[in-house]
Amino acid sequence: MRWPSVEQIIYKYLWAWGVGQSLHFVGMVLLIGTVGILDLRLLGMAKQFPVAALKKLIPWGVFGFLLCLATGLFFVTGIWANINVHPYVVLQSDVFLQLKFVFILLAGVNLLLFYATGMSRAVDRLAAGEDAPPLAKVFAGASLFFWIAVMYFARLIPSGKFQP
Amino acid sequence: MQDFLESIENSGWASYIRETPSVLGYSTILALHTFGMAFLVGLSGVIALRVLGIVPELPLKPLKNLMPMIIIGFWVNAVTGVILTCLAARSMLSNWDFYVKLTAIAVAITSLQKMRGYAFRVASAPDDAPASAEAKRWAKAMLFSWFVAVLGGRLTAYATNIRIQSAAAVGVAAILLLLLARYLVRYAHRSVTVR
Repeated sequence: MRWPSVEQIIYKYLWAWGVGQSLHFVGMVLLIGTVGILDLRLLGMAKQFPVAALKKLIPWGVFGFLLCLATGLFFVTGIWANINVHPYVVLQSDVFLQLKFVFILLAGVNLLLFYATGMSRAVDRLAAGEDAPPLAKVFAGASLFFWIAVMYFARLIPSGKFQP
Repeated sequence: MQDFLESIENSGWASYIRETPSVLGYSTILALHTFGMAFLVGLSGVIALRVLGIVPELPLKPLKNLMPMIIIGFWVNAVTGVILTCLAARSMLSNWDFYVKLTAIAVAITSLQKMRGYAFRVASAPDDAPASAEAKRWAKAMLFSWFVAVLGGRLTAYATNIRIQSAAAVGVAAILLLLLARYLVRYAHRSVTVR
């Protein structure tokens, strides 16, 4: 799980970790901004938007997620160079990191179900002012909850207990 | 001044928040600061994307209704930001990076207000009308200032030389990522249209 090349980058370039963190945050803002607005629309808080138009924002959210994923992998594979703890130890013992992953997984499953149940297609037809079906609201509420939980547990990761 | 800052830092509530082993202390305040940022920067960023014509399909006028969420995000950040500053008042207020962050936030908020004023000024404008040149200018200023503010916030914990190197590296990375994002998003839109 340790990646020597990544560790070398972190050892050699003092700015690498900070840059990774900044880009992780930029990715998070893109993801929450775009997915959040779609979720809020489905929940009925911004009904003036036709859903199909809001879905045009999704590629930006996907890009934000990929940015978070890439920088997240950078942190995990290079963590030895930053705090001298094996990534496996952190993954195994930091309950907040584990919870973050659980909620990312739940958000992913929620998204799959949103498409698999046909809700995604159903909401595409919603014009401005129209209410989303109840099941779509459940998916939207769950999505918002899961992503907020991801952010919350991500912030708690440094308070987790991991011993070398 | 140092004594005053020290007394804030060592006050009962500040010590409790900083030192309590409960996750409801420092970590939760930090998490709330992140939520506020995600809503404030994320939602105002969506308005900017529309104003700049990057997502022209989005109707412009309804975006005005996101303002209450943006304002809530701002106040959550302001309150939690003041608390976090009090917890480490001496080091924060002697850190130039912190002032860069505060200045960037002030410029971003001013730009947001200006962008809002120009973008939503004509109530009878059609939803697909392009935003004015002034609105676009303020949207760019806002996005740039948010970027500096987020970066400044992340780098306050580092030494000065690392901060300067990081800022330069993030600047280069941001330009490359923006170009990549624009390409990927346009590619995704083209694929959807062809299908």
